[in-house]
Amino acid sequence: MSTAYSKPAVWMKMTSLALAVTLVLVGCSGGAGKSSATNGGSAAGAAPSTAAEQSSTPVAGGELSYALATSPDQLDPHRSGLAVAVRVIRTLYDTLVVQLPGGEIKPWLATEWSISEDGKSYTFKLRQDVKFQDGTPFNAEAVKYSFDRIIDPETKAANALALVRPYESSEVIDEYTVKLNLSEPSQAFLGNVSQALLSIVSPTAAKKDGDQFTKHPIGTGPFKFVKWDENSEIVVEKNPDYNWAPETVSQQGAPNLDKIIFKIVPEEATRIGSVQSGQVLAAETVPPQNILSLKNDANSQLYQANTVGLPYTLFINHSKAPWNELKARQALQLGINVEAIVKTLYLGTYEQAWSPLSPGIFGYDASLEGGVKPDIEKAKQLLDELGWKAGADGIREKDGKKLTLHYVDGSPNREKRNDIAAIVQQQLKPLGIQVDVEITKDVATVVYANNNYDLYGNSQVNSDPNALYSIYHTTAPGARQNLPNLSDPELDKLLEDGATQQDQTKREAIYKEAQQLIIKKAVIIPIYVFPYTVAASKKVQGLAFDSLGYPIFNDVYIAE
Amino acid sequence: MKQAVIGKQVWQGSRAEGAAKIRKLKRLAPADLLLYAAAVIVLFIISCALFPSLIAPYSPTLMNTDQIMQPPSLQHVFGTDYFGRDVFSVVVHGSRDSLLIGFVSVLVGCVTGGAIGAVAGYIGGVVDAVFMRLIDVLMTIPGVLLALAIAAALGPSLMNVVLAVAAASIPGYARVMRGQIMSIKGRPFITASRSIGTSSLSIFVRHVLPNSLSPMFVMAAIGIGTAILTGAGLNFLGLGTIKEIPDWGALLSQGRGYLTVAWWICTFPGLAITLFVLSINILGDKVRDQLDPKQSRA
Repeated sequence: MSTAYSKPAVWMKMTSLALAVTLVLVGCSGGAGKSSATNGGSAAGAAPSTAAEQSSTPVAGGELSYALATSPDQLDPHRSGLAVAVRVIRTLYDTLVVQLPGGEIKPWLATEWSISEDGKSYTFKLRQDVKFQDGTPFNAEAVKYSFDRIIDPETKAANALALVRPYESSEVIDEYTVKLNLSEPSQAFLGNVSQALLSIVSPTAAKKDGDQFTKHPIGTGPFKFVKWDENSEIVVEKNPDYNWAPETVSQQGAPNLDKIIFKIVPEEATRIGSVQSGQVLAAETVPPQNILSLKNDANSQLYQANTVGLPYTLFINHSKAPWNELKARQALQLGINVEAIVKTLYLGTYEQAWSPLSPGIFGYDASLEGGVKPDIEKAKQLLDELGWKAGADGIREKDGKKLTLHYVDGSPNREKRNDIAAIVQQQLKPLGIQVDVEITKDVATVVYANNNYDLYGNSQVNSDPNALYSIYHTTAPGARQNLPNLSDPELDKLLEDGATQQDQTKREAIYKEAQQLIIKKAVIIPIYVFPYTVAASKKVQGLAFDSLGYPIFNDVYIAE
Repeated sequence: MKQAVIGKQVWQGSRAEGAAKIRKLKRLAPADLLLYAAAVIVLFIISCALFPSLIAPYSPTLMNTDQIMQPPSLQHVFGTDYFGRDVFSVVVHGSRDSLLIGFVSVLVGCVTGGAIGAVAGYIGGVVDAVFMRLIDVLMTIPGVLLALAIAAALGPSLMNVVLAVAAASIPGYARVMRGQIMSIKGRPFITASRSIGTSSLSIFVRHVLPNSLSPMFVMAAIGIGTAILTGAGLNFLGLGTIKEIPDWGALLSQGRGYLTVAWWICTFPGLAITLFVLSINILGDKVRDQLDPKQSRA
């Protein structure tokens, strides 16, 4: 046995390799290893909110490190399409008006405004003491430039283009007065103008940098851009000249913080773990399983703000048989137990959604809550009525075709959406529906280009119920189909009326009717309302959220 | 009566033998025990893959949403995951895909790599140069990276993971096979065979190939472990399959976000990978010892 010594060597090597790989795989979340559950401090029930920390006085200076879940796509507000980008964009730019929680519109860069009789032109009087971070004066020309830039095809504007609709042109009345003209009246317009994606950009910088403006963004915001390392971090610093904060923040002038470092940390356990270990001071999007333990952590606090707009909703594709039939869609509506999904995956930290709109938006119909209850027997009966009979393997069949549901979802598994698909698959099995789950990195192709799905989920942050228009209204010929592939004249009429109706009571009634219609016709299955959550060290004080659930950093300070 | 006699004989005979056996046992104990333990584990896990429903106490797709994230107990020995599934049952059922990836990809890689190596080594010349440069190119890319790239390009499916893992292992098999063929080719008995006019193909099939196979078996036996690890890695990274019953790598991936609140969700699939890979390597090592000509002479 002369070579016996080499024997253990080989398998030891393999073993340690196996162990190492396993540990590395598992240990991607190693940072979270420091258990927080043991602290057992005050289980204060509700999220510790900003109200609790009003005793200490704000201190100037300091840096806030803030971990983001994904990388922003653009820092050019007009070209961005991601909510995560808005979190950074809000620090760099301001908008003409600001929306209070509840929907009321207040002045920001515009001090006052008037709307013409026909509702087709908005005249804004602008603040006269504002300048961009590059020294360019803020005036009517700058506003005109920004709005024209969005509708210029050269800009390749993304979500901003949908928000700015039906904007047509601007007229500069004088240095500080600008008139925006719309092609048709829109009740959503003023609310949309308050959204970060319609921020005013520096005309000098945007003209000079063109496509590269996103790399050197210049606005009038409370923070100035410093640098952006791809997939690593974005740094912004205090704009010392800032003196035009809206009334949603308590500090009119420059912010307390010297710097905010947005770090990009996609791995959720690492992100939250680094707050607990002190590597960053705050991190966004806390997974539900960590929310409970954070609430018991003496050194951390949890901020929570429900986002407003369209909740996470499963859209049933009306262009695919048999889902074009009401009874088949109702079978899904009754067969999917949304309450069980939300409770299981989000452990009571997310609210169940009941309507195509989320609570807190204008016109939300609370009477829909608790309306649809799972009823498997009724669902089976509906499928029986349509002629789908159970086959040998338990899957229903009709004319030799199996009853399948092609469920498409995106990767990575954002907000546990892939897990929803896994549960829906099991919930629909007893009904005799075979769910084929497709997880794809390329949602743009599968869903939007090829229309190859029966069920697909999405959500949207928005300020006005007019957001329903782009999702549910019949699409113009040649344009991309709306998500449910829906064309319903009754709903179209409501959405058109809602967009222009000036009487707020009537407008509210219109949107309530639209929501009820969408649920009655089983167009969608609403799942959850996403709460924007931030885990932060107790040292971080004064973090606030705007009406849509985006963080506001103006009043933040680091207490020592 | 007869029984008693036999019993006596055995008893008498075993006195001397018994002492020798005990000595032998003492000498071999650690290695052999390890070997037996490894064999038992491998057999058990293979039977899990073959007959999962007989071993698993629950259905792997049963989501008992009233019992999510229960720690290990008598009812659920590995606990339950965040869907309320029994982790033990999911691990047992998940073994099928993991093992399938391991065995099939080794088979594909070994046969393809072996064929390339054999052709290159036996024919030599330009063919050898061309094949080996291609293999060199593949070798410059780390195996896991190659598998990742292939899996990403082909899209998620069980078949593609098998192909990706197999492709990543081809250069190794090809190199070993070529070396072995070349060394056998130069042996005197081959020259002798050639001198009596045996055809080249016949020499290859009858002499060269059979004499070159044993290192391939060893490599394949050890390669199964690596293949399962690579496959698990791909599935962990989300480049594998998405099915009702996830394999071990996907289970690790699903459970990792819960490590601080429910350690059992990803610990047990991880343990299953570790144990199986470890055991298969111990067995592979034994195969190597058996086939190693140097050791059998000693």
